[in-house]
Amino acid sequence: MSRFGKTKNDNISMSKLEQELGTSELRYKYLCNMILTSIHSSILIINKGLNVIYANKNFLDKSKQAEDETISKKIDQVFPPVILSYTLLPQRIKEVFESGRSYGGQQMTYRAPGLPSRVYYYSLVPLKDSLDRVDSVMLLMDDITEQVRLGEEVRRAERHLASVVESASDIVVSMKPDGAISTWNSAAERISGFAIRDALGKYLSDFCQEDQKNKMESTIKALNSGRKVSQVELNMISKGKNKILLFWIFSHMVDDEGKIMGIVGIGRDLTERRELEAQLIQSAKLASVGVLAGGIAHELRNPLCISSSAAQILLESPYDKKLQKECSEKIYSGIKRASHIIENLLRFARPSGGCLDPIKINDVINETITLIAEQIKLQRIKIEKRLSGNLPYIEGNGNLLKQVFLNMILNAANSMENGGTLTIITELFNNKLVGITFSDTGCGIPEENLDKIFDPFFTTMPVGKGTGLGLSISYSIIKQHNGAIYVKSTVGKGSEFIIQLPAIK
Amino acid sequence: MGNDINILVVDDEEDMCWALENILKMEDYNVVTTTSGNEALKIIKEKAFNIAFVDIKLPDFDGMELARLIKQEDSRISIIMISGYYYKDDSDIQKGLHDGIYLTFVGKPFDNVEIRKVARRALELSKR
Repeated sequence: MSRFGKTKNDNISMSKLEQELGTSELRYKYLCNMILTSIHSSILIINKGLNVIYANKNFLDKSKQAEDETISKKIDQVFPPVILSYTLLPQRIKEVFESGRSYGGQQMTYRAPGLPSRVYYYSLVPLKDSLDRVDSVMLLMDDITEQVRLGEEVRRAERHLASVVESASDIVVSMKPDGAISTWNSAAERISGFAIRDALGKYLSDFCQEDQKNKMESTIKALNSGRKVSQVELNMISKGKNKILLFWIFSHMVDDEGKIMGIVGIGRDLTERRELEAQLIQSAKLASVGVLAGGIAHELRNPLCISSSAAQILLESPYDKKLQKECSEKIYSGIKRASHIIENLLRFARPSGGCLDPIKINDVINETITLIAEQIKLQRIKIEKRLSGNLPYIEGNGNLLKQVFLNMILNAANSMENGGTLTIITELFNNKLVGITFSDTGCGIPEENLDKIFDPFFTTMPVGKGTGLGLSISYSIIKQHNGAIYVKSTVGKGSEFIIQLPAIK
Repeated sequence: MGNDINILVVDDEEDMCWALENILKMEDYNVVTTTSGNEALKIIKEKAFNIAFVDIKLPDFDGMELARLIKQEDSRISIIMISGYYYKDDSDIQKGLHDGIYLTFVGKPFDNVEIRKVARRALELSKR
């Protein structure tokens, strides 16, 4: 638009100039010449016969033509035929003469001999006399080579960025400041099943799991009101109605003045990672089932042995009613005990579902202790429980937490080769965290190992004894529960593991 | 044959003690039971026993060690190890047998007849 404006102004000043020239005022002629010479556009003035009657310095320089090769020459002698047939310049000039209206906004590529080709933006402006008749037509050519080159570069960078975004395996979605979706990459289409046309103009919360819509909305709102980055795990519901676990990183786009232009969200599909994690947890669990098996076998054989002996005594004493009753009771309680042990182990070995329920942490600890009581007794380890009576519920998966606690107890037992005491404490911190402390009187952990114990495969146990996965898996389970795990240890005195889990308000 | 024969049973499970007591009482043996290793050592100081059934895994004692101490106290006692944890061919069990600390090993669960048989055999061997 501004270009048109400029052209119009030129038009006015030119016709004025012409009037002034007509009155032969040399001062104006001089001024006019000076303007035309120093202007950064190429200017040609063409008469009705399509002869060039004026060419400014800029044109002559750019076209590498002398003045006498240009002035008084026909337009088709000044421009190469290729350009003329491409731009239809003579015809356009004629049209301007006839209509008296400007013609503009076209591009022309012009290559002067021996020079690299340049791109011009040209327009044709009618120059009118005092009777408003078109006297001549001015061809105004702005060199836009550099702009075109920059434009191409920008487009190339844009294409490059777009292909990066498109080929990303993560969801990349950009939103207007209010959260309305403005771009949706192919990973988003693939993962969610929703095509770009289904997503544009909608809100990310529209695609979220019902009970997480609010959290998504508040996350976007917080970004919009100035928060820089936020990371959050929120699930999407795909077009096929499947739940997709996504880890989101949001940040906002700002303009040069720092005003928020929009929001970008990158969502990573955690489904596969979660599956692998679950598999790892399950295999580690089976490994600890292996550790338990020795103790379990012994534990099972006692009630089995009692039941079997009692049954035989029953057969051997047909007349002693009192003994018969006693035998029946022993058989019954022995079988009950054996099936309880098996039940406990099977419940533990079963793969855990992903869902979190309100649970009582003390119950989980007691069940874990039942599972391992025999093993612990054999190692001459005393368990001292100091469980707080009024703990709030926590949100968790009992089976997964059992795995963590079992791991804590087994580790403590391993550190107390010659027996000792394991103290298990539960308590409430600040009314919002439930703390579970396992403190043993074992060998302790050397300081140089303290920062490695949560690493996968780190173990000080002999090959084949420990997998080195116990603590790293405990760590990831506690993380999944939004909790934390700490360790304090003194070599020769013992270790203390503190687990903190958020209480349900 | 029974009344003058004294048998000690050491097992941390009370029901296990109950079972062994009833199995052996059928042969009219005098049976004393205890769930503790330390208690067992006290009992043998007060009374002479022909046979001791010792569970290998005791909470306060390693059964093998207890057998050795009992043998030290009274070498005439025939010791029979019982366990739900070990197998007869385990090297630990074989070593004790070889060293003559105990007479034999019975794995849990067992047949009542087997218990009475090993007791009888222990008495026969000690008579020679």
